[in-house]
Amino acid sequence: MFVEVQAATAFSFLRGASHATELIHTAKFLGLHAIGIADRNTLAGVVRAHIAAKAAHIQLIPAARLVFRDGTPDITCYPTNRAAWSRLSRLITLGKGRAIKGNCALDLTDLLEHSQDQAILIHAQDETALPALASHFRKRAWIAAKRRYRDDDNLNLKRTADLGLHHFLPILATNDVLYHAPERRRLHDVMTCIRLGTTLEKAGLALAANGERHLKSAEEMTRLFRDHPQAIAASHHLASLCKFNLDELSYEYPDEPVPPDATPDSHLTYLTWQGAARRFPQGIPPDIKSTIEKELGIIKGLFYAAYFLTVHDIVCFAQSAGILCQGRGSAANSVVCYCLGITAVDPTEINLLFERFVSMERREPPDIDVDFEHERREEVIQYIYTRYGRHRAGIAATVIHYRPKMAVREVGKVMGLSEDATAALSAESWNAGETLWNDGRLEEIGLDPKSHIVQRTVAMARELIGFPRHLSQHVGGFVLTRGRLDETVPIGPAAMEGRSFIEWDKDDIDALGIMKVDILALGMLTCIHRAFDFLAQRGVHFTTLADVPREDPLVYAMLTRADSLGVFQVESRAQMNMLPRLKPKEFYDLVIEVAIVRPGPIQGDMVHPYLRRRQGLEDVHYPSPSPEHGDANELKMVLGKTFGVPLFQEQAMRIAIEAARFTPQQANQLRRAMATFRNVGTIQTFFDQMVDGMVSRGYERDFAERCFRQIEGFGTYGFPESHAASFALIVYVSAWLKCHHPAVFAAALLNSQPMGFYAPAQIVGDARAHGVSVRSVDLNMSLWDSHLDEDATLRLGFRIIGGFRTDWASAIVHGRPYRDFRHLASAGLPHAALVALADADAMRSIGLDRRAALWQVRGLEREGKLPLFAGLPLAVRKAKLPVMPMPEQVTADYQSMSLSLKSHPLRFLRTRLIGEGAMTCAQANNISNGAAFFTVGVVLVRQRPGSANGVVFATIEDETGTANVVVWPSVVVTYRSAVLGSALLEVRGRIQRTAEGIVHLVAEHLENRTADLRNLDDDTITGPPARADELPRSRDFR
Amino acid sequence: MRRILSVWLPAWPIRRLLREGWPADRPLATVENHGGQRRIAAASRLAETQGVIRGQSLAQARAVCPALVVTDADPDADRAALTRMANWCERFSPLTAIDPPDGLWIDITGCAHLLGNETTLAKTIAKRLAPCRVAIAGTPLAAQAASRAATSQPIEVISPGSEQAALQALPVTLLRLDAHVVAGLRRVGLRTIGDLASQSRADLIARFGAETNLRLEQAVGKSPHLITWLREKQPLSERVAFAEPIGTADDLAGMLDLLSKTVCARMEAEGVGGRRFVATFYRVDDLTPAIEIAMAKPHHDASRLIKLLAAKLDTIDPGFGVEAIALNVLESAPLPPRQCNMNGTLQSEDLSTVIDELANRLTPDRLWRPIPQASHIPERASSIAPPLDAIPAWPHPPGERPLRLLRPPEPIEASAPIPDDPPILFRWRGAVHRVQAATGPERIGAEWWRRSDPDERFRDYYRVEDQAGARFWVFRIGLPGQDRAPEWFVHGLFG
Repeated sequence: MFVEVQAATAFSFLRGASHATELIHTAKFLGLHAIGIADRNTLAGVVRAHIAAKAAHIQLIPAARLVFRDGTPDITCYPTNRAAWSRLSRLITLGKGRAIKGNCALDLTDLLEHSQDQAILIHAQDETALPALASHFRKRAWIAAKRRYRDDDNLNLKRTADLGLHHFLPILATNDVLYHAPERRRLHDVMTCIRLGTTLEKAGLALAANGERHLKSAEEMTRLFRDHPQAIAASHHLASLCKFNLDELSYEYPDEPVPPDATPDSHLTYLTWQGAARRFPQGIPPDIKSTIEKELGIIKGLFYAAYFLTVHDIVCFAQSAGILCQGRGSAANSVVCYCLGITAVDPTEINLLFERFVSMERREPPDIDVDFEHERREEVIQYIYTRYGRHRAGIAATVIHYRPKMAVREVGKVMGLSEDATAALSAESWNAGETLWNDGRLEEIGLDPKSHIVQRTVAMARELIGFPRHLSQHVGGFVLTRGRLDETVPIGPAAMEGRSFIEWDKDDIDALGIMKVDILALGMLTCIHRAFDFLAQRGVHFTTLADVPREDPLVYAMLTRADSLGVFQVESRAQMNMLPRLKPKEFYDLVIEVAIVRPGPIQGDMVHPYLRRRQGLEDVHYPSPSPEHGDANELKMVLGKTFGVPLFQEQAMRIAIEAARFTPQQANQLRRAMATFRNVGTIQTFFDQMVDGMVSRGYERDFAERCFRQIEGFGTYGFPESHAASFALIVYVSAWLKCHHPAVFAAALLNSQPMGFYAPAQIVGDARAHGVSVRSVDLNMSLWDSHLDEDATLRLGFRIIGGFRTDWASAIVHGRPYRDFRHLASAGLPHAALVALADADAMRSIGLDRRAALWQVRGLEREGKLPLFAGLPLAVRKAKLPVMPMPEQVTADYQSMSLSLKSHPLRFLRTRLIGEGAMTCAQANNISNGAAFFTVGVVLVRQRPGSANGVVFATIEDETGTANVVVWPSVVVTYRSAVLGSALLEVRGRIQRTAEGIVHLVAEHLENRTADLRNLDDDTITGPPARADELPRSRDFR
Repeated sequence: MRRILSVWLPAWPIRRLLREGWPADRPLATVENHGGQRRIAAASRLAETQGVIRGQSLAQARAVCPALVVTDADPDADRAALTRMANWCERFSPLTAIDPPDGLWIDITGCAHLLGNETTLAKTIAKRLAPCRVAIAGTPLAAQAASRAATSQPIEVISPGSEQAALQALPVTLLRLDAHVVAGLRRVGLRTIGDLASQSRADLIARFGAETNLRLEQAVGKSPHLITWLREKQPLSERVAFAEPIGTADDLAGMLDLLSKTVCARMEAEGVGGRRFVATFYRVDDLTPAIEIAMAKPHHDASRLIKLLAAKLDTIDPGFGVEAIALNVLESAPLPPRQCNMNGTLQSEDLSTVIDELANRLTPDRLWRPIPQASHIPERASSIAPPLDAIPAWPHPPGERPLRLLRPPEPIEASAPIPDDPPILFRWRGAVHRVQAATGPERIGAEWWRRSDPDERFRDYYRVEDQAGARFWVFRIGLPGQDRAPEWFVHGLFG
């Protein structure tokens, strides 16, 4: 019975044109009882194949096709047992280590060194290396016999058989499969062209002549090899030899953190009670005690103690190094984690659900994510590498897939579409599902949907979406093992220096039960740490987040006013709109605030009901099933804290379990299915199961559908309650700092850039609006970082000057004080540093304004380099230059530092704008609901959130403050170029004002006034105008 | 004392495109590659009104103007078009030059009086080359700056010696300095040329480089500025006139002989070869029949030329007599001199002589040579090319191919064991062939991306040998058992 032993999946990047699941299903359909999956110099795709094969009940033979650099023919290597797998994995690691990221450099000698217990299939063209291989591998080597459907097939087969005979190597029949069905030949051709960088027209003979490299049935292969039946039998023999199964990869946690005289469980128990005593100095409440005992029991039963200890070890290191950190995610559901200091969510405040984190039924390894200060995360990573060694610690991979935009761009190029057409198509790539590139959209962008080439391009691009392009390093997921990691999975170098990552991604790791810790970076933690340092200079000492005084009413009042620029999580436009409506008064309100402004609740249309019930405008009632199916209060437990409205991810999951009778397994599958972008059609089955399940038990269909929509919206942005709680603590602390120490907070924010939603200009502006006095960068007074003087004025630091370097800053500080220019010039600072200082107008303390400073600095350029004059005293000539007018000063400030303390650009246009009848942003924010407005402002940020159907939100700013503009889709269409292309925007329309005082400027007419900004400074800006501010691009249109 | 006229042709690349036929009613822009990013190099007025700006990234330009039509910037074509424009301007002065990317210089010293005075000359030029701006000054840079100044006057004449005053208020950008120098000047407040001139020379050179000072001095005439003027090439032609009209073939041939030798000697001296020649015969009754000769490669060999001309001489009717013959070289190309052998004879000639004779006797496009084309489909695996072009190497075909293919393949009836074994017998053009031996199938899939292939099934090719020993290349489209019955064809013959 024939077995196909060489099938490549999509993880042979741009060579394999089918996913592992497709291959497995086709194999099953064709009646093959086993299949060998071997990708090119990698083991990245085997886990997916393994899972699919288990579900389909066929045998998977995991293998790798080794491609050599020394002329040896391709060899597929099949490990026959666990030890052989280790060797294969190490072999690939060796090859990857020698080459740059994504490549593998192997020689025949490498294979021979790792050959024990391996079976090999040689894709031989001639006699190269056959003698060596035959003698090394004895009874476990075969030569591949293939039918290529070429003129000389029979002759070739005979030759191969003879070759085998000559070297005592039997032949084995294989089709060297690249795709699962003949139709995939087209995608394979497209992939070949992408790989070679050519088009289908020009590829010529590089494309395969026919589409025969698909999975074939046993009958077909037997027929094709009827002259060589032994080749067919050989495939069966190989399959029976290779009984290795990936389930044999058992996993062991490292045992470093366990002291020699203890077991993991005993040590964990000890540390937990110790930590509990610290956390509850007044005595541990009895229900907490029982929860701890329960959790420890579950942990023991599942053998996870070592995991917790490993994470605890890392957190201890961070704390000892003074790095702020906090656990997040579902781990915050664990009281044990709280006691160990990994998380900071107080179980007395939040109801924790340990099952959400770890459960006996789910049998998944736990997954703890820890946030660290972003600037010091690298120290933590290096600690892990040092403690465990590079051969036992590795970062997980992420698979970068083809997304619609990239797919259609590559396919368009290959099909020979003009560049215009490809660009238009790829710009239209943000719809989902069937609306992606449908006929209507194609016509809108000027393409003929009936055109043959367009149809083919769209069809091929749709097929390509979801295929892996390459592997990349995951953001922070570390895998740690007791034995050598590269004996389980190959490790390869990352693009970043000194980093390496394994070939499997998070899903693969979970499927095999391997432990992962996410070491993440959070900018706000850095900011808070810096703020703590500043406060320490003033005699206020905080070491951890928990030291900050809690439940301060002033802080909640500030948040209710939406005065939250710079505050973690709640500073975006959407959050600022929500705060006055939610009116947070206590900690749990912050937990809700963090979770509510997310696609999940918004898409599920839960936000308004929640707010109405909270404000008492609506009765709180809990949806219930009909009496014969269940208890009327079955959802009260789940939804009690949120007025009967599901807001958190696990509430929605619990509804699926309680109301639609999902098993915990199924609910988890549902959650995962939503979390991946590749919704492969299973969404519909879940939809039916949930909605029908609920309706059949008497719930209203509308409620059931909304719950499902909400789960859909949670997607990857799902917020478990515990996660929201972890974040809420950081929200509170940052708000407290802003409220009580605005200067410190602003300085810390500035020094932790880039982070957050706003640019330095807004941070400084907001600080000044709160009464902080800010001084400009100065040669004699500034440091690299912004800092506070004794009188609590904020002195901007050198880092704010574009292109400035830390070594320049140290040199400047070292040579202080500078009395005059001559003194400065002879201090030996690099010329570029002086130019930067002059451009930033930082020489006022030696009496030079910007122009004079530039004049002098430019004069230095030549004089410094003439050796004859080196010994003479510096001649400093006064220049007769015109005075720089204020508008130019402000523009120059923005160009150098992206902010200006002198004035706002709009102040110079104000007289003219008043003449035109325009009002200021502050005025616009004060007029009544429904009144007409006309205002002009600099565009700070534009957003087009996917959940808002084409509506554009923009924030504009003038010298009096900011205003939020809403542009409905029909208006966007009419004024598209103004909306997209303006740095200075004129808006006319009507005010919309809510009861809580949130004001939106609803635009009816827009105009691009960027030209006026340019005219402020005549033509200093020669290209397209530099915006007055530059904001994180990621928030704008993609 | 020189007088230089500068013409500024704004948005010249766009203008050239519009002349070549690009649509004028849609926003148009050219795009260049700048450090990996595609940026707008020039934009039409219409595009500018919609928000497209020079220097913008292409993506941004498309965002503000979705209907934008773009094409790659082609500075060489722009220069070539400018050169043609400069050549055309020779009617105003023998000395013209291009001022890339969008201007011309014309030296009108002493020419102005021919069209009245300088102002009328400028007006004439401005009118003929509109839309443009024209300026006249004593130095090229001054004229150039003046023509690009942003005033509404289409014409500016700067009287001799007053360059400095005229340039006083003009912005510094017009001096053709580097962008970063200009930015630096602006930043210290030196925005106009007058500002620049008021600084001391030493200060300027120390801070902004010697070139800045040089430009200033060139503009006001204190330093010289050299321009390379265009020169047009003299046409190659010879003419001989007779005292008395001649009419016999021998006489005409003799005269052609003489002319050919003269022309070829000139070409050899200049190092060029001719590719197209025309011999025109001026009859007494004012008719002018002509013979045209084309060559595959340029040459200046008189004997070859005579031979080709003589071959066509009998198409000329001398009528009552021919009083003059002219021989012109219409197209020439550089041709280095040929190497001699030791004994003084030239090295043997190549294929091109034969090709030339054949081509001139038949028409040139009936002479071709097959070249390989990369395709798996047999009838597309070759195409034709001119006889003397370089041929790429023929790739090794995946299987044996017959020398000639039947076009189109001829249908046959065949019977073969299913599903894809070779046929055992087939009938073609009435004759039945029994197959003794066969190879295959060689499966060739359709080129699915082509629009013109209506049938997308694959073909299975077989080489078959019949009982008489003849070998055929047959194929079958489609497999038995599908919706359409399989069809058999013979595609070629071996041997």
